[in-house]
Amino acid sequence: MNAHPETCDPSLLERYLADLLLSAEEADFHRHLESCEACRQQIQLVAAAPSSWSDAEEFLRDQPFEAIAFGTSSPDLQKQHDNVRDGRASASAEVAQVLAMLNPTDDPQMLGRIGGYEVSGVIGSGGMGIVLKAFDGPLDRTVAIKVLAPRLASSGAARRRFAREAKAAATVLHPNVIVIHGVSNDGALPFLVMPYLRGESLQRRLDRLGPLATEEIVRIAQQVAAGLAAAHGQGLVHRDIKPANILLEDGVERVTLTDFGLARAVDDASMTRSGVIAGTPQYMSPEQARGDNVDARSDLFSLGSVMYAMCTGRPPFRAETSYGILRRITDTEPRPIREVNPNIPEWLDRIIQRLLAKSLDIRIPTADHVAILLQKCLAHLQQPTIVELPEECRLPHHRRGYMSTSPVVRVVSAIAMSCLVIAGIYSITQLASGISRPATVSKTTSNSPETSIVPNLSPIDDWDAIQTDIDAFENDLIPSETDARKLWQTTLETKPP
Amino acid sequence: MDEIPETRDSLLIRVADARDQAAWEQFARIYRPVVYNVARMRGLQDADAQDVAQQVLLSVSKALPNWERRDESTRFRHWLCRMARNATINMLTRQPKDRAAGGPLLPVDIPEDHANSDLDSRLVREYRRQLFRQAAEHVRTRADATTWQAFAMTMIDGLTITEAAERLQRSEAVIYAARSRIMRRLRDTVKIMEEDADERSS
Repeated sequence: MNAHPETCDPSLLERYLADLLLSAEEADFHRHLESCEACRQQIQLVAAAPSSWSDAEEFLRDQPFEAIAFGTSSPDLQKQHDNVRDGRASASAEVAQVLAMLNPTDDPQMLGRIGGYEVSGVIGSGGMGIVLKAFDGPLDRTVAIKVLAPRLASSGAARRRFAREAKAAATVLHPNVIVIHGVSNDGALPFLVMPYLRGESLQRRLDRLGPLATEEIVRIAQQVAAGLAAAHGQGLVHRDIKPANILLEDGVERVTLTDFGLARAVDDASMTRSGVIAGTPQYMSPEQARGDNVDARSDLFSLGSVMYAMCTGRPPFRAETSYGILRRITDTEPRPIREVNPNIPEWLDRIIQRLLAKSLDIRIPTADHVAILLQKCLAHLQQPTIVELPEECRLPHHRRGYMSTSPVVRVVSAIAMSCLVIAGIYSITQLASGISRPATVSKTTSNSPETSIVPNLSPIDDWDAIQTDIDAFENDLIPSETDARKLWQTTLETKPP
Repeated sequence: MDEIPETRDSLLIRVADARDQAAWEQFARIYRPVVYNVARMRGLQDADAQDVAQQVLLSVSKALPNWERRDESTRFRHWLCRMARNATINMLTRQPKDRAAGGPLLPVDIPEDHANSDLDSRLVREYRRQLFRQAAEHVRTRADATTWQAFAMTMIDGLTITEAAERLQRSEAVIYAARSRIMRRLRDTVKIMEEDADERSS
């Protein structure tokens, strides 16, 4: 404060903080601050102790942890608007235990060493272990180190699972899939090394901002699809695609798919049938929810759910219990996106519906296909006048579905349609007669059903309503899920709720 | 601190009257996410963690009317937190097998004594986190938008002072000043929230 003794006035700081200055005084004060570095520092100290500043930063700040960590995914407390998302465990005994197991370091700034890495802090902790922030000296870069929890490190199965995760993820080289720098599975603490990415998870973005803009949705989904295509190309199914595992880096428009914690080689059947359902229920595919074998297409359903969440701010299938969620995933259709968010274009809604198709025959078959399709859509969004929407986005959904369904379904729906038309005519006639001739209503209802079914052939004004009914009915037919539902119901009878 | 009297009012928890909905909700709003987060850290999935949070709040609410009669010497906030912590630890350690399958993690049994002290310190810390977050929300809704932004950009979003100044088109000095003002209010609000409950018992 000595630099400008004539204007440095400690009482001014206090009065500014309490918002007691007149606007002219405030302007003067701002001008003074511009030239006085000392006062800029001083006002922060006067405002609150350094410990309060660091508490605020720690407790309020977004952390990259959630995305890199092990499924300590963010809470879903939509009823409350608290942005309570940080699953970061702090002075927990487990973290302390891991830190105590680190090798000593010469650098007083560091907490210890693991492998060749200098550990500088704890990013977070999750069910499988903790994530450390560390420095890779020889390569001069900061890394995130995922350490298997000590309580798990003694279990052979957990170690194998951990090693497999690392091995699986390391085979995928793609800009949208997190890189594995290295793995160590022989020491007391098995760990794997990943880049330290600054940013937030998609989950956190959704919590913070709610539904995203169309272009953002398509951009993120396209990159996730591209990353998935690379993983699927290696025979890997991620199995746990969800917003918490999608990392949005700060400053660059890059999306990184993280946490292949549950990814497994498709042919690795041994642990797949351990009976434990892997994956977060809200973004599970119906085949996962049923406990069936899953393939790459399961990830595509989950991608559809993630896209739905980006459009509406919430996952498509919600229920009070995880069991309820599973039932919804297998049995019900989510609420139409455009009913929740009318800003979403119809073609995007249709793409998502095709990903959320419960039947594998209707679902878009490959991540490659999705990535290419979305790439074209993105080009259209960026230059709507020059680039047209891709061909397959242009056709109305119900017609596309109708044309491509089997003849049997077509016949069934044709019959259903004619029934609907008759029913529509019938109800309108009833309505019309009810309105125009109220006196005859009781007489009509007392008549036998046969006589009242005979159409009155009065003119139909409300064709639009009937057409809407038909469309709705036809749409219902497309994701024909009777078989799947039957299957599910039979499994239910053998499983306790 | 007198500038935010509404905080004080809304935070009054009337011990004798557990039916005071507003006061109860205030506590629940702070403690529910505490339990939820800690449960999630233990590997429970969303729906189950919400269940646990609900059960904890329920059991504390049932105990509320007993407070004045039974335990005059203890500070109310501490008592409340201890009740909630005990209930949470009970809930989380008693029924580890009760979770529905489908969680993101393999269920793992943790030795009980180790787990309890671990849980307790997590609960304390999460409680403090919630105090800060609720206080921040309170401050945010009452602050001028740019002033809040100066704080949020630099403290939450991780921008530098220079970047924030650029985005808000203000001088760096203004950013320093504005975020300090918010920090002061935040500190005071947290303090009020912490002390308010205590005053009830003193």
